[in-house]
Amino acid sequence: MENKFSIKNLDMYYGDFQALKNINMEIKPKEITSLIGPSGCGKSTFLRTLNRMNDLIEGVRVEGEVLLDGEDIYKEIDVTKLRTRIGMVFQKPNPFPMSVYDNVAYGPRAHGIKKKSELDEIVERSLKRAAIWDEVKDRIKRNALSLSGGQQQRICIARALAVEPEVLLMDEPTSALDPISTLKVEDLAEELKKEITIIIVTHNMQQAARISDKTAFFLNGELIEFDETDFIFSTPRDKRTEDYITGRFG
Amino acid sequence: MKMKKKINPKEGFIYGLIGVATLFTIGILVFILGFIFSKGLPHVNLYFLTSQFDSTSAYVDVKLSEGSQNPLGLILEETTIKEKGSNEKKVIAIKEIEKTSLGEDAINNQGQPLALSEKDIINRVNGINVEGKSVEEVNQILNSINKDTVTMRITKQGGGIFPMIITTLMMIGLSLLFSVPIGVFAAIYLVEYAKPGKFVNLVRFATESLAGIPSIIYGLFGMILFVLTLNLGYSLLAGALTLSIILLPVMIRQTEESLKAVPDSYREASYGLGANKIYTITKVVLPTAVPGIVVAIILSIGRIIGESAALLLTAGTAAKIPGSLLESGSTLTVKAYTVAKEEANIELASAIGSVIIIIIIILNALSKLISKKFSKI
Repeated sequence: MENKFSIKNLDMYYGDFQALKNINMEIKPKEITSLIGPSGCGKSTFLRTLNRMNDLIEGVRVEGEVLLDGEDIYKEIDVTKLRTRIGMVFQKPNPFPMSVYDNVAYGPRAHGIKKKSELDEIVERSLKRAAIWDEVKDRIKRNALSLSGGQQQRICIARALAVEPEVLLMDEPTSALDPISTLKVEDLAEELKKEITIIIVTHNMQQAARISDKTAFFLNGELIEFDETDFIFSTPRDKRTEDYITGRFG
Repeated sequence: MKMKKKINPKEGFIYGLIGVATLFTIGILVFILGFIFSKGLPHVNLYFLTSQFDSTSAYVDVKLSEGSQNPLGLILEETTIKEKGSNEKKVIAIKEIEKTSLGEDAINNQGQPLALSEKDIINRVNGINVEGKSVEEVNQILNSINKDTVTMRITKQGGGIFPMIITTLMMIGLSLLFSVPIGVFAAIYLVEYAKPGKFVNLVRFATESLAGIPSIIYGLFGMILFVLTLNLGYSLLAGALTLSIILLPVMIRQTEESLKAVPDSYREASYGLGANKIYTITKVVLPTAVPGIVVAIILSIGRIIGESAALLLTAGTAAKIPGSLLESGSTLTVKAYTVAKEEANIELASAIGSVIIIIIIILNALSKLISKKFSKI
């Protein structure tokens, strides 16, 4: 199977500080890849290089190649186009202060879809895919901020899905949620995996073990180990990976 | 063990000072409001708010209504008016206008409608001077008329502040028309586009310094630039342009703060969906910042209402509604200044002052309400 992402010799700097060191990684389509590691190890930074979210920060410099379906995302793909192909869900649920409908329709509208029937269809489909349609279908015009945290996060996932991304980046999507909402999001990720590629940053080792096919362990900006999840959690090759997953640090 | 509460003399002294300072501040505030309201409020009534400032006289033709007992339909009364100096003069004024009267369709000698209204003074009837006559005598004259029209010279009493209220509203509208778009766009530039650095710091320093300059300086500048160099004369337009410059720093500062208060997570979410910068700003950032911008506008309105020095030098002091942007007009505050300074009419100045204070209190309450309402969601 072709790689969805091929990352070659990726270095990233915040000013003088090197946040990512020579990352090489290949991500297969329709799999869930977990990125784990202690705080400040560069996993979120790495995630954000994949949809060029780091461009928004002053003084960021990226070297090396990130190929999406063989195209260099820093050279060959327009950034707005890139971000419609790669959706993102953030750590804290961040719905816009507008109705559920307007939240989900935001992306399609930003790309010029104006017809109401078309938007209605997209909104309904996206909310269903995010497994929240049944909970909000009667209050779709209500302000999204009036929903619970777990619902807000699934609204954000629906909002990301509305632009039909091929990849969904999730930056600790459940760290602000209660256990039941967390499970719902995890189930959702496994369901979505049938159609799209998911890369998820998590602090929660059980979560990584539960849902991901591959796991990557980051430490101090380096990719220490990247392999099948089962393999990483049972027989890690590197001593540092073992120390981390057995809870000796982090 | 017995706990004895003992105040250390040093602390007691400091508490005392704090208490005295607080009482002093509140006392002064209450005294000022009390003084202005007690002097001014008795003069504030509907007539005061809705009539012209200057008295005007004119000849009018009034048709008599047929088949009515009182064909002219006017009920008269004697009243006294103040003349120049402090002489009082007895005159005949309209007390009431009956429903059958055609007084509201009266026409002046230029053929334009000029409705009679209550409190109008009647000077002459069909060429007969009625000043100093009693109500009965005047009624006799009126009843002896056997034509179907009466020609009267009437004087509409002034003393109202209607033109100033309208001028103030026009000044507010016009000043905001200039300052809001410029201020909001400048703030958007500073927050969303400009890279932090020397230039932005310079702009911030400039706006902060501008905010601290006394308004008389802006007035002088406005007089030289708008009134004289651009030849706008003392006019609404010159005043509004000067005010816009005064408002800009506040407008920019306040809008900047409300833009900065928009969480970055909204911007990230928008960019993450592939929206571009303009779309993000217009659809997410600005709408979220609107309450803050509204508060900035309300504060600006307060500033416009309160401004006097700059307007004296640019908009002049005419006590009428400006017929065009290039005509002079005075706002409530400017008028309060001129009647106090030039006519030594403290009661009238206080009455205008009361109206101004009430408007300011309403505006402040409104801005509190808006920021409270929007901060809930």
